[in-house]
Amino acid sequence: MENKTVPATSKYPDKPITLIVPFSVGGGTDLVARLLEKRALDYLGQPLVIVNKPGGAGTIGWNEVAGSSDGYTLGMTGVEIILQPLYGQTKYHYPTALDPIAQIAELSIVMVVQDTQPWKDLDELIRYATKHPGEIKFGHGGMGTTGHVAGEMLAKSADVRLEQVPFQGSAEATASLLGGHIQVLFTNPASVKEHVKNGTVRILAVASEHRLKDPVFANAPTFREQGFDVVCSSWHGIAAPKDLPVEVKDKLAKGFEAIINDPEFQKNIEALGFEFSYLGPKESQEKWITENQKLSKTVQETGILDKIKAQKK
Amino acid sequence: MDILNLLLQGISVSIIPVNLLSCTIGVLIGTLVGVLPGIDTVSAIALLLPFSYGMDSTAALIMFAGIYYGSKYGGSTTSILINVPGEAASVVTCLDGYPMGQKGRAGAALAISAIGSFIAGTIGLIGLTLLAPPLAQAALVFGPPEYFSLALVGLILLSRLTGTSALKSALMAVIGIMLSTIGLDSLSGISRFTFGIDELDRGFDLSILAMGLFGIGEILTAMTHAEAKPDIPSVKFRDLYPTKKEWQRSITPMFRGGIVGFLVGLLPGPAATISSFISYGLEKRCSKHPEEFGHGAIEGVAGPESANNSAISATMIPLLSLGLPFCGATAILLSGFMIHGITPGPSLITERPELFWGLIASMYIGNVLLLIINLPLIGVFVQLLKTPLNILMPLVAVVTLTGAYSINNSMFDLIWVIFFGILGFLLQRVGFEPSPLIIGLVLGPELERGLTQGLIICNGSIWALITRPITATILSIGAVAILYNFVTWFTKYDNTRKELDI
Repeated sequence: MENKTVPATSKYPDKPITLIVPFSVGGGTDLVARLLEKRALDYLGQPLVIVNKPGGAGTIGWNEVAGSSDGYTLGMTGVEIILQPLYGQTKYHYPTALDPIAQIAELSIVMVVQDTQPWKDLDELIRYATKHPGEIKFGHGGMGTTGHVAGEMLAKSADVRLEQVPFQGSAEATASLLGGHIQVLFTNPASVKEHVKNGTVRILAVASEHRLKDPVFANAPTFREQGFDVVCSSWHGIAAPKDLPVEVKDKLAKGFEAIINDPEFQKNIEALGFEFSYLGPKESQEKWITENQKLSKTVQETGILDKIKAQKK
Repeated sequence: MDILNLLLQGISVSIIPVNLLSCTIGVLIGTLVGVLPGIDTVSAIALLLPFSYGMDSTAALIMFAGIYYGSKYGGSTTSILINVPGEAASVVTCLDGYPMGQKGRAGAALAISAIGSFIAGTIGLIGLTLLAPPLAQAALVFGPPEYFSLALVGLILLSRLTGTSALKSALMAVIGIMLSTIGLDSLSGISRFTFGIDELDRGFDLSILAMGLFGIGEILTAMTHAEAKPDIPSVKFRDLYPTKKEWQRSITPMFRGGIVGFLVGLLPGPAATISSFISYGLEKRCSKHPEEFGHGAIEGVAGPESANNSAISATMIPLLSLGLPFCGATAILLSGFMIHGITPGPSLITERPELFWGLIASMYIGNVLLLIINLPLIGVFVQLLKTPLNILMPLVAVVTLTGAYSINNSMFDLIWVIFFGILGFLLQRVGFEPSPLIIGLVLGPELERGLTQGLIICNGSIWALITRPITATILSIGAVAILYNFVTWFTKYDNTRKELDI
């Protein structure tokens, strides 16, 4: 797959740019990519072609991005580029094999319960969990995902035993919460927004530094406000392979900055339930480095790494 | 009636020329997606998403929904004509549809499957219109332990759908389950049986296996006797449509299939495929002449082809009223909604009634359009059979492989399609019918996930898991069925022995 031709920087881009989405059609990353595609021609001068390469928790797609060098293959990124290499050997070490172009949006994890549950706030739930260790089951969208990490962070920070139930994606986990099969769900705001609005689901805490801007979630306190050190969010961004010519990278960074800061794009991103949060290449790179340090500590301390390692044997 | 009023309003939205046009385009594309083997609904909609950016949101959604339900209409066409399923949901239609075609009743089979699709699609829509919110709530009662019991009983009852040897069928189902464990385990996040090959992490897509085992497999089988002219009796125009007797035999299976499909569609999983298998099993059990199954029993076409269509209508229920996509195709529909700024969920009906009812009304119209499109096409499709196999089959192979590539944009998948094609060809040769393998592949993961999640939910107690009211009921039904099978087997065995003694 390696393509060694370095693009002629003055004319770049002179053909459509492939944007690899390393997850399946219809997921959050795919949606963001398609919103970019909508405005690409206006700001990049060439259309984006979205190619979904799902599998391996994103690694199949990123391997392809990291292995290309023609400047016409970019990839959507997420917090998994940092998490996956922590969980085990990947073909490339993505945080160093890729160069960020931009961060687009953040998705904080929220903690919700069904409205029929007795716990009015996080404090009541924690008190219940202290008295009944292991009785509360929390669902999340898959082992090692941000929902799982946030749940384990809470259990550790509050020193209670919460039993985790992995699901295949947030839709199945949400269905299980609504059916009363699990008591708590850690998920992204977008997947429960309609149910919070409707009153069938109650939000207890947000795993971010600040409260969410979305009016539906604006009243929900953060974990920090309630005395628990749980901050965990996923994010969506764009990255290119390492070692592209500086001019090419600058052109891409400028083009995507313009798309992302287009008011209509922002509006659409927020309508999907994401927190709009643009970061340029430099800020993104800094974020990758700090997140890498923070998360590698977290997955060790919460015992997630041990669980995954134990199963890999 | 309130709902009737709302539906009428919906109809007034859906017959605006632009919406009607989108509906027509949608169902036409859907029909094409269904007829062409290997072209997958999800990739077709994904490919068309960018073209909808400039469209009005209602029109766009009407079009995408049209592709979705339209694709299940045409899926049976190639199953009946050349034994190659157009969609995974039409794998089971090959079993009796193709033998019907061989007897010169291809036209009748196609007509019955189109009419059954229409009737069941409409049954599903009526359910969707009247009962969407309460049904969506009711389906939530089913949690992981219930999925586990359904999958277990399903595997037991369905693995012996075809053929004469129970052992061979069970073996195929077990291999299907084994294949389903390959790849990244969605729960633990670890790779299993991948030998370090990254691409295997994705596991085997249902479509890839169906296209290989049945599509490429059948093409290879056909090519081994390509010299032989197809000895299909020439079909007169009058013979294109079902006889009165065929009609009478089909009408109950259509309604039964419609109801089965609808119920299955409310639960997570590839509902269209699962419901077609259940319906086939059900028809075989209900039939007065089960010995005809596998040799061109019209019920074996009418039931499954109806079931997969009403399943489609039912999968719209969790999507529209809870905002939860339970299968790949509704996930991409959800994307279509979101990109146009619409979030399905409990408040959709109250916040955007014109869109909700417009969409549902368009589905009624779309179903009528599909019937109008499909019935005259039957004559054209039957003519296709006159094409010599050595021209037709390579064309089918090209389409199938293109479609298989488009699912994950992966060359690796193509290798597997061909591998499973050769496997399917060899299996047929030695008398194994591969359709139980598909059942294993589909139900295996449900079984495993349901058990793992269910055990955590029930604090690790298997007793607590199997004594949940719904789980216990389902498992008892399964136990009774097994017992019944044993009893009939013993009496048969006993009778044979007595006969031999005398």
